[in-house]
Amino acid sequence: MNDFQYLIDYFKEYPILIKMVWIFSGVLFVGIIVLIIILKYLRSRLRINGKLNKTYKEKYESLLINYLYSGTEEEGISPDQQSVINQLEICIKDKFKRKIVISSLVKLRNEISGEVANSIKNLYLQVGLNNFALEKLKNKKWNIIAQGIKEFSEFQIEEIQNEVLKHLNHQRKEVRDEVQLYLVKLFNFEGLKFLNELKMPLSEWDQIQLLEVLQRFKNQEIPDITPWLKSSNDSVVLFALKLSQIYNKFDVIETLIKLLNHKNKIVRVRVIETLSYFQDIEAKIILKNKFDNLSLEEQIAFFKLLENSFENTDQKFLLKHIYHQNFEIKKTALKILKILDTEKFNSLKDTSEDPSFVKIFNFIEN
Amino acid sequence: MSSKKKIVLAEDNSTLSLLLKFKLEREGYEILLAADGKVAIELIEQHQPSLILTDIMMPFISGLEVISHVRNKLKIQTPIIVFSAAGQEEMVLKAFNLGANDFMGKPFSPNELLIRVKRIIN
Repeated sequence: MNDFQYLIDYFKEYPILIKMVWIFSGVLFVGIIVLIIILKYLRSRLRINGKLNKTYKEKYESLLINYLYSGTEEEGISPDQQSVINQLEICIKDKFKRKIVISSLVKLRNEISGEVANSIKNLYLQVGLNNFALEKLKNKKWNIIAQGIKEFSEFQIEEIQNEVLKHLNHQRKEVRDEVQLYLVKLFNFEGLKFLNELKMPLSEWDQIQLLEVLQRFKNQEIPDITPWLKSSNDSVVLFALKLSQIYNKFDVIETLIKLLNHKNKIVRVRVIETLSYFQDIEAKIILKNKFDNLSLEEQIAFFKLLENSFENTDQKFLLKHIYHQNFEIKKTALKILKILDTEKFNSLKDTSEDPSFVKIFNFIEN
Repeated sequence: MSSKKKIVLAEDNSTLSLLLKFKLEREGYEILLAADGKVAIELIEQHQPSLILTDIMMPFISGLEVISHVRNKLKIQTPIIVFSAAGQEEMVLKAFNLGANDFMGKPFSPNELLIRVKRIIN
């Protein structure tokens, strides 16, 4: 006791700064000790969870295999299968165990096709896991909703379509992505009908993802895309333009020509590029007549179209634009001219004194 | 001594491994499971199986390295079927160049795998 009193008296005699350093060191020391205890606890908890996860995973995997191979030739559920269903029904009441069951089912469902894949889907429904996923769709958190939709998509649960569609115009892009993928994965080209109702933007990445999924299907018969080309959502129009090109939809050329007057410049440029792919002469004539009223981007796109569909009658138009201020237009005009009238091209080359102009000639010739 | 034909199955998806093991064992084969390429090579060296089934993407040693080891180091002609996921077409070509005999793209049907296994082994 006297020793402590001595230390307290000694401490009191210290200047204020030293006292503060001692107090700070003490707090820091206690903090580190507390932190070490927390980390130890977290680590041991993670290890226990890991071990539990492994144990349950092995148990459920074996139950799953039992279910898949204890079916009878006749339709319906065998007693062994019913026993597996009963056991799993009890397990999935616990969130931790439910997560492991779903993960085991998904892991197998993604790698297997045919009858076994259908059996996995049946087990998912019979155990009642779809009800938990449906609850997720009613959750307020966007990530939970996205998880629920993804689960329905992985197990190909078509019956839930209307519930999923409610989230088509969700504020979060992640949820919208899952809705779109669900519809296209399950209903193929028919699933694209969501484009009629989509109010939110469809990003470039979303479009690439959808096209990638669509290309996997054996049936490549695409429905009428005209309504999407006329959509008030510009991103839907841009996506429909991609579809028209990829699936060679020549029947929409008339609609594309009308889109040359679209209010959005990006759409107009993309329309010209699509018409260029179709090598449409009517579009060429329209654009040529209103060339001076087009934006620079449209003019460049038009010259690319011209490169695919030029005729002798275009020579006068080309000569008018070989001195255009834009390099791309100038180069393309000269390139076409060289094919149409080599003599004229050579005479221009010989008379030209502008070094940058000569460079373009040399570039085209090589 | 067992007269069953041995198959080494190298696959890191434990559920799929278990499913295929069950399926192939019911048909009278002895299945040796490997969760990665390293274990697969050990099993191949120890048991000289009649067939090797291997996934391309695996931890530690990939399926391609397993094929290369079998063909170039062990210099054995045991038939090899590789499993590949979508988008691994180049890997499949590499696997064939290294000496794989057949491939199955995931997701695949276990029944179809069984037909191919029987055809190759018999």
